[in-house]
Amino acid sequence: MSERSAAQGKASGRPLVALFATCLVDLFRPSVGFASLTLLQRAGCEVVVPPEQTCCGQPAYNNGDRAAIIALAKQTIAMLEPADYVVIPSGSCAGMLSEHYPRLFDGEWHDRALAVASKTFELTSFLRDIAPLPTPEKLHPPSGKVAYHDSCAGLREMQVREQPRALLKSTCGVEVVELQQRDVCCGFGGTFCAKMPEISAKMADDKLKDAASTGATILTGGDLGCLMSLAGRAQRTGQNLEMRHVAELLVGDQDTPPVGGAD
Amino acid sequence: MTDRDARTDIFARLQHSASGLSNNDILREQWALGSAPAPALPGSDLHEAFLTNVLKNQGTVDCAAGRVGTVKAIAAHLYANYRKHRLVASNDQRLAALPWRDGGLLPRFGSVEANEQVALSYARLGVAELGAVVTFTGKANPAANNLLPEQHVVLVDAADVVAASEQAWERIAALTEAEERPRGINFIAGPSSTADIEGQLVYGAHGPKAWHVILVGDLPDSILQQARANAGVQT
Amino acid sequence: MEQTSRNFLGNAHTALGDEARAERRDLLALFQPIMRQSAVDDFAAHEATRAHVKKVRQHTLDNLAYYLARYEEQATHNGNHVHFARDAAQMNSIVLDICQRHDAQRIAKGKSMVTEETGLNEHLARAGLDVRETDLGEYIVQQAGETPSHIVGPALHKSADEIRELFLEKHDLGERDLLETSDMVAEARQVLREHFLTADVGIIGANALIAENGYSMLVTNEGNGDLCANLPSVLIVCATIDRILPRAEDATAMLRLLVRSATGQPQTCYTSFYSGPRRAPDPDGPLETHIVLLDNERSDILDSGYREILACIRCGACLTHCPIYAGVGGHAYGSVYSGPMGSVLTPLLTSLEESAALPNACTSCGRCAEICPADIPLPDLLRDLRSEEREQRLSPLRWRFGLKMHAWLAAQPALYRLLTGLGIRALHRLARGRGRFRRLPLAGGWSSQRDFPAPQQKTFMQLYRERDRHDG
Ligand code: SF4
Repeated sequence: MSERSAAQGKASGRPLVALFATCLVDLFRPSVGFASLTLLQRAGCEVVVPPEQTCCGQPAYNNGDRAAIIALAKQTIAMLEPADYVVIPSGSCAGMLSEHYPRLFDGEWHDRALAVASKTFELTSFLRDIAPLPTPEKLHPPSGKVAYHDSCAGLREMQVREQPRALLKSTCGVEVVELQQRDVCCGFGGTFCAKMPEISAKMADDKLKDAASTGATILTGGDLGCLMSLAGRAQRTGQNLEMRHVAELLVGDQDTPPVGGAD
Repeated sequence: MTDRDARTDIFARLQHSASGLSNNDILREQWALGSAPAPALPGSDLHEAFLTNVLKNQGTVDCAAGRVGTVKAIAAHLYANYRKHRLVASNDQRLAALPWRDGGLLPRFGSVEANEQVALSYARLGVAELGAVVTFTGKANPAANNLLPEQHVVLVDAADVVAASEQAWERIAALTEAEERPRGINFIAGPSSTADIEGQLVYGAHGPKAWHVILVGDLPDSILQQARANAGVQT
Repeated sequence: MEQTSRNFLGNAHTALGDEARAERRDLLALFQPIMRQSAVDDFAAHEATRAHVKKVRQHTLDNLAYYLARYEEQATHNGNHVHFARDAAQMNSIVLDICQRHDAQRIAKGKSMVTEETGLNEHLARAGLDVRETDLGEYIVQQAGETPSHIVGPALHKSADEIRELFLEKHDLGERDLLETSDMVAEARQVLREHFLTADVGIIGANALIAENGYSMLVTNEGNGDLCANLPSVLIVCATIDRILPRAEDATAMLRLLVRSATGQPQTCYTSFYSGPRRAPDPDGPLETHIVLLDNERSDILDSGYREILACIRCGACLTHCPIYAGVGGHAYGSVYSGPMGSVLTPLLTSLEESAALPNACTSCGRCAEICPADIPLPDLLRDLRSEEREQRLSPLRWRFGLKMHAWLAAQPALYRLLTGLGIRALHRLARGRGRFRRLPLAGGWSSQRDFPAPQQKTFMQLYRERDRHDG
């Protein structure tokens, strides 16, 4: 993040938020990035999108290659240091920065990692707990019943549970219908789904069945990885359930096709 | 490698990863650990909590005052369930001293035999937190009497009921200073049960199918009713 | 048992294909966590107790040599013969030796994972002994010639119908048909009661060994372990050295966590503390008692980055809360211990090479660590094992190389930008507006089971820059 943008934010007196879009959003679903940007601006933040951002390094890290991501983590930490807050539209990438980066280092870099960790938030928890998203004059309710998929890292590493539900209610007038086993993993697990596809598919099927039995037609959530994996499985097995990232619902984006949907 | 070599080898390995503290420092550190937080008891009264938890553990309960009252309570339970007056009682002096004839009971003192259905023990302690009675194996209470009968009836003095495991151990330490360390200390908290077939709970897996606890002492009349209400058990 | 962890994926495939069992696993995975949660909710001091017990265990492991020596001294003082065994084979031969010295024929066994770990039953059976498991679940799997599928509920993978069939085949039932579950329990009770009364030696495990007084703690609901400990004239307790706790009160504090997490009960029916052989005036109890203290890699684990796994109290909750365990069941792991704790322990007890699949059977969802009453960071330990797997070059080259490349590339923002920008445009074009792919080169694992959602036209960073330039 450049000195210029940092200075800009400070001058405006508004909190300076670095938006870390995540590699999946960057590569597969820019609409989530733009939705996040809009929401943060509505919440009164000065938002910068550091151009050096790539990926937080979870794939290699979760496969036990700590060494490979040291350089990447340092670069990410340095890039985010000037901001007041780091906001990420993903529980698992936010968890990576706040829970796991500090464990990679000792000494100076450990402290720097901790400092970034302490100001890193998952998008919906930030908009609920830190910079409240104002209630819009006009609600944009999505057409259809909405169920919410809690990502494991969001739940357990970032304590995201009620925030997205509350926001959906206040901004879209949506009363989320709850899955029976909302704290059970959907089977994505990053590279897990490619290493153990059959088990992963079984877990996705359970999640989809659970969602279907609520009568929901839209399944939303805060983690694109889970949604892509679930959308892919739903399409393969011929299930009709639209997956959309919660940021998209919150800005009322109904034009972008759902995850995996035709243009 | 012999047992002894294995011992030497294991201790050598453990030394390698040990903290290196002196024995005194280890004990000091142990002391500083303190005790686990005290568990909350249901209701405000110790005896009520004890009875409540016995009920929650699928026991049945009664209260009795005085020696005659105690015998009558045992007799009533036996008659209601078995239409019987016979039972095996452990060789506990407190049991030997009960006025059996007042309840019309015919106890045999000793260890339970294959054809005998009911055994009676006098517990050393009751633990409210656990809803458990504690017996020591030995002459006064053969282990077989806890395990082999169809039905186990246990008396416990109100004065011997403690709040939690920590207090139970204090009492046990005091008792075993006077006597020898017993071979077995048994915390019993329910009839024998199993859920190993499809998770379905069945009583009488290997041990008693039913477990009845009689609390002996001067207790308020309402205590049984209150305990049943706490435990959500119908009368 | 013969370890088949190498074939985890194959085992899992078979397990997933068995619909009836898969359905039963789903049901257990739904209800067991609910039962545990309600028991924990009823126990206000749960978190504080968890923290306390963790401190106690940490202190014990830090000073294990001291406490082990103290336990040995106290147990010897109580009249036990205390033996040490470095490995499984040594423990098995110590136990067989004791049995043979007493001309024992019939052995009554309580539930013990340690003896599963060493394969004690087979060892004794090879020497001609009649070893009978007496825990109902263990008895069922023994009769069926299987191994436990769960460390607490060994036979929960079987239906009541299967168990009925098994009893009809193995027992002489005459006219009886064992229609109800309670009939089956009664049948096993009768058969095993007979065995208890005639057994020469009882063998049990221990949930804790108490250093200050030399007692061992045995926790059961059925009371079978107590029958093993009280009726035969010789008793052998088999336990690993990491079961030591300093004080009696530490064992009962740990029990508060164990019971609730294992079965959702507030208290087990029988919690017994045994100190040694029958005292002079005692009417019953064994005449001779032995304690076999097994290391089997524990001292090495203690000295490694995995020592936290030694705090495991074997409640089985991480198994019942693991969606992968729920999906494939315990047998798919092909090892004595399964689920998250088994995936940590198995490579440490056997070899990473044989069990490399197990640490990978994890999505890092964290549910196990959240509920583990011993507060063991299971996903972190599994990640560390994957790290070792990579270092020892046991994982497929394709994975190691690919992920390293990705991490390297991500640390070069400009190049990353360029390559991903090109790649995404190509992918988008390739999808031709269908929004997804059925098959994608290099993503075989994914696309065997799922479609792959196609990217939108350009990357976020490209679009953002374009917009920024436009606005700016
Ligand atoms: S690792 Fe934790 S949850 Fe799993 S069995 Fe051990 S104590 Fe229980």
